Order: sequence, then structure tokens, then C-alpha cells
Amino acid sequence: MSVVSEQCKKLPNKLLETIANKKVITPEDVLRIPYITDTYLCSPDANIFEIDFTKFKIRDLESGAVLFEIAKPASSENADDNTDKADGEEAIDPNAGRFVRYQFTPQFLKLKMVGATVEFTVGSRPVNRFRMIERHFFRDKLLKTFDFEFGFCIPYSKNTCEHIYEFPSLPPDLVNEMIASPFETRSDSFYFVDDCLIMHNKADYAYNGGIST
Amino acid sequence: MGFLTVLRKMKQKEKEMRILMLGLDNAGKTTILKRFNGERIDTISPTLGFNIKTLEHRDYKLNMWDVGGQKSLRSYWRNYFECTDGLIWVVDSADKRRLDDCRAELFTLLKEERLAGATLLVFANKQDLPGAFSATELQEILELAKIKTHHWKIIWCSAVTGENLLSGIDWLIDDIAARIFTLD
Repeated sequence: MSVVSEQCKKLPNKLLETIANKKVITPEDVLRIPYITDTYLCSPDANIFEIDFTKFKIRDLESGAVLFEIAKPASSENADDNTDKADGEEAIDPNAGRFVRYQFTPQFLKLKMVGATVEFTVGSRPVNRFRMIERHFFRDKLLKTFDFEFGFCIPYSKNTCEHIYEFPSLPPDLVNEMIASPFETRSDSFYFVDDCLIMHNKADYAYNGGIST
Repeated sequence: MGFLTVLRKMKQKEKEMRILMLGLDNAGKTTILKRFNGERIDTISPTLGFNIKTLEHRDYKLNMWDVGGQKSLRSYWRNYFECTDGLIWVVDSADKRRLDDCRAELFTLLKEERLAGATLLVFANKQDLPGAFSATELQEILELAKIKTHHWKIIWCSAVTGENLLSGIDWLIDDIAARIFTLD
């Protein structure tokens, strides 16, 4: 697994503009973007499969401790009423639920082996070739790309996926900079069905938790 | 650290294996998966879809798929056959009433063309339960000797105590590796 890519020269924003205007955005398109996007590359309505992320969890494999866990209330897991998933937030902010902010302590960057779990539910339609591409950046430096194909998902199913991996060993000066620059570590998560972008989520991260300023 | 051995940084190209775990509902597939990965097993509910774990074990990148075994889900199993290197068939060794069903489902799977190249590990699970059939008994009942199309082995285990999970999976990995990575 490569850890830190070469610092990428910022391509003209034209690339992003070209991609954002495409009718179908493919995995190849997003893999070419060398920085965090400043917009969402698809609308929340693109998720016609009603794929819903219901849980995120991060655990430390060495201690067994769960470091982070966030779950949607069980009521939103009911897929029996698929006319409207009773998402009151959606009326307020169309991007609510597409963005997560994580606040960790500096110790988080010292972990050796972690397991990151997502749980998601699927609506009434079968899903083919479900694929996730997640890109983590610190400023414009690409730290890590996850690229995983879940494949087929059963209608009305609830599924989990845990990636257990060695935490990238980052150079100490980069770690210090990341701790000193909260929320400049960011990620784009792109989800595809049959090579077509259907969801785009974002997150940002701080590692200065517990440090008094 | 559960059953994960200390992982060395892989220098060579990642060797990936795709392992599919199937069996009747309540056989213990999810418990095996979680136990193997050092996760708590006290809150496991029936799988209504799949559970995937990707991990590194003995310098291999394992993609382990556990797909729900309820009757209504079995017709979807075939969506997960593609590129499978190893098949783990999990048996509840104490569920004596359903062993005919268990054998029939297994032999249906073994006819699948897309599983033709896969190594088969049968886990005789729940050996911690009183009255469980032994692996030798199950080998007879499930008529495993009839399998000529796949490399196979039956191993007793208990997902609850963790006994024998590692040796079973290591056998599976060794057999797959001997078949597909010998040219390296």
C-alpha cells in the first residue's frame, strides 16, 4: 500500500468543471482528481437505489478498543416505506448527511492497525457492482486511496464491510502539521453502481482533540 | 489482537484471495468471521445481506465474504461466486434435523461452474455444544467422500471458543496458494 503520493500539482479547475458537467461520472474520472473537490459531484437524488449508510465504526486491533462509533437511529433503518424515507433534515439542507466531521486526539495518528466498518442498507432494487472510492488528502497531498468493489447487493439488505489495515506510517513532520491544522485533512467518498456515480460524501478530520490551545 | 498474527509490511506484490463463506442460517458464519478478526461476538443478529472483512493474514490480502443463509437469501448466493478462490461451508454440527438440507445445498453449490476452481473447507462448527456430531460423523452424513471436483477438508471448530478456526483457515490458504501462486 502506498502511503503518501507525490505532491500533485494542482490541475486547472477546468478538470473538475469538465467532470462535474458530465452526465455519467465514472471511477476513472474521480481517480484523476488530484485534490479535494469543492462541490459535490452528484445531487442527493442520484442515489436512486436508496443506499443508506447506517453505521460507521473504527476499532484499534491491538487493544480491541472501539475508538469511534456512530449509528443512525434504528427508525431510519425501516425500509418498508420507500415513498419518502422521512428524512426531515433533507428539507432543511440537501447536503445534510453527506458530510461528517471527525475529531480525534493526536494518539489516533499513532495507531498501527485499525478496522474501519461501514454498515449500509439497500432499497427495493438490486444493486450491481457497488464500488467505493475514498480519497484522503491533507491539503493537496493525497494520503490514501481506498478502492473497493462490494459487487452485488440484495434488495432490502443490510450489509457491513470492515477494512482492517495497517495505518499509513506518516513522516513525523507531516503528522505534526496535521495535528496543528484541524480540518485540513479531508476525504471524498465516491460511490458507484455499474460505474456510475450515485453518491458523494465528504468528511474532514481534526487530530488536536484534548490539546489545550 | 485476536487471531491476527503480527503483520509484516508486505514488500512483494499483494497476493489477494477471495473467500466466500456460506451455509444454512444459524450455522455461525458471522460469528466465525468476527471471532477470526478479534471482534466481540455478543451481539450478532441474523445476516440479512453480507458481511465483508478485508484483512492481511500471512502476507495475503484476504477478502472474506459472509452472505446470509436464510432460505429467502440463498437464491442470491450465486451473485457472489465470481472469482472465489476458497469456499468455507459452515455447518451447525448440533442441528441434526437440517443436515439433509445442509448436504443438498452444499452439493448444489459444488455444481456451480464459477466455483469450479475453489478449494472447499467444511467447518464442523459448534463443537462446544453437547450432542454435536464430530467432524468424522459429519463427513459420513454429508457424504463428503463423493466430492471429486474440489480439494476439500472438514475441520471441527467452535466459533464461540475460537478453537481450530485458525488452523482451518490456514489449511484453506495453503491449498489456494499452492494452486494459484506456485508460479511466482
